[in-house]
Amino acid sequence: MVSRRTAKLVAIGVLAAGALVAESKKEYHFTVGSKAGVSVMNPYGSISVRPSSNNTVVVNAVLHSDRVEVDNNQNGNRVDIQSHLLAGADSDSGRVDYEVLVPADASITLHSSTGSLHAEKLHGDVTLEGPGATVDVRDVTDAHVHVKTMNGAVNLNNIQNGHVEVDSLSGEVTLTGVNGPLVQVVSTSGRINYIGDFGNSGEYRLTSHSGDIEATIPEWTSADVSARSVRGEVHDDIPLQPKTHNWFPIDKGRAFAGTMGRVAVSSTVVLRTFSGKIHLRKRSEQQ
Amino acid sequence: MNCVELQQSLAAVEDGSSKEQRAHLRTCPACSSLLEDLKRIVAEAGELQAADEPSPRVWNSIAIALRQEGLIRPQRPPVPSFSARWGWARWLVPAAAASLLVLGVYLHQQSLPNQLAEHAAVAPVANPLGLDDDDLMQEVANNPPAMKPEFEENLRRVNESIRDAQSLVDESPNDPEARRALMDAYQQKSMLFEMAMDRSLP
Repeated sequence: MVSRRTAKLVAIGVLAAGALVAESKKEYHFTVGSKAGVSVMNPYGSISVRPSSNNTVVVNAVLHSDRVEVDNNQNGNRVDIQSHLLAGADSDSGRVDYEVLVPADASITLHSSTGSLHAEKLHGDVTLEGPGATVDVRDVTDAHVHVKTMNGAVNLNNIQNGHVEVDSLSGEVTLTGVNGPLVQVVSTSGRINYIGDFGNSGEYRLTSHSGDIEATIPEWTSADVSARSVRGEVHDDIPLQPKTHNWFPIDKGRAFAGTMGRVAVSSTVVLRTFSGKIHLRKRSEQQ
Repeated sequence: MNCVELQQSLAAVEDGSSKEQRAHLRTCPACSSLLEDLKRIVAEAGELQAADEPSPRVWNSIAIALRQEGLIRPQRPPVPSFSARWGWARWLVPAAAASLLVLGVYLHQQSLPNQLAEHAAVAPVANPLGLDDDDLMQEVANNPPAMKPEFEENLRRVNESIRDAQSLVDESPNDPEARRALMDAYQQKSMLFEMAMDRSLP
């Protein structure tokens, strides 16, 4: 007689086999020219984009059930990929995970409600959106990087000469080695971390209504810095040359403003929060 | 029921399934064809991708024009849900989001020094289309269930940020940062509307 334990194992095996059968893989290839546009719209699941070695777009999709399809369309130099949910699909059965290769100069638009969004080693514009999506972008140069999330964490790493705009409601935003003419983060309650040198003579604006803001920079940074927390505290580990004129009152403990480094090549840095804390921290040599 | 009456009755029973409608449709090829066309439009409208849609500014312009012509009222009609069967009201949400953004930009522009005094009290919080937070949460119901508390919490926080920023503007009307904070807060709420209307969802 079959024991209950054996019956359970058989049942689990059948279920697992069923899941494996339902999962399927698709691969699509598209030939594109320079500066192609590629968009991937995926309600549930992750999207990862890396550079291809030639002028092709390769899409590898893992579909987690037969309740979702992948629609693909190429119109000239533009490729659109969309997960098409069929009747009865939910966040599990409607999930698709994408691995996408694109020419490094392609502009990409990625959208996922709940999955992770990742892009690396590109120099075309990058737009990533999704309410619960976690975002990871690294090694992008000379490009616009635009991110919109509700509560997903955002990590931007080594973005050089970028036009960076991050809008997040409550997710933590971390910028490491990010510089460019414009670097802007707006958050309602998320914490903002900046680790870098405020380089490129750019405009850096980090604002969070109730989240804390911490910037860790080397002592040799050249920047015109102003920080203000209406209800919170500010801390400054780096001596600044005080400015003779400020348009807002410098309440000790709630605001500071001044310059550091060489004024001629300095960036403008604005740190603002309503009730969070601001900390301008000196980077140690080990960091 | 004649053809005119049938077309008027579609506002109440849009799929032509009432007894009177079916009786007329059996004898009128023109109305049958019209109904089929309407059903096809509704079905295909649901297939539109976000990329096919004009920007929210376009919808905002349309909404403004419709209001000016008196075809829609500022206050939202008492429909039970955004996802009503014809679903047309859903199109007003991006317009509302755009309106919030326009409002924020408008407030920001008032920070020009020579206009500060006369515009210090400008802070219309009311949504011009009458869409409110309840509408937003109805849209959220179309998202994964786990997202609902996240939307609720973020809506609470962004409303709090608007109140705080507004209080700053009230306290210091000459402070351009206060107005910018208010604009940012409205932009964040606008973004929340957009995300609730996530077009890639079913």
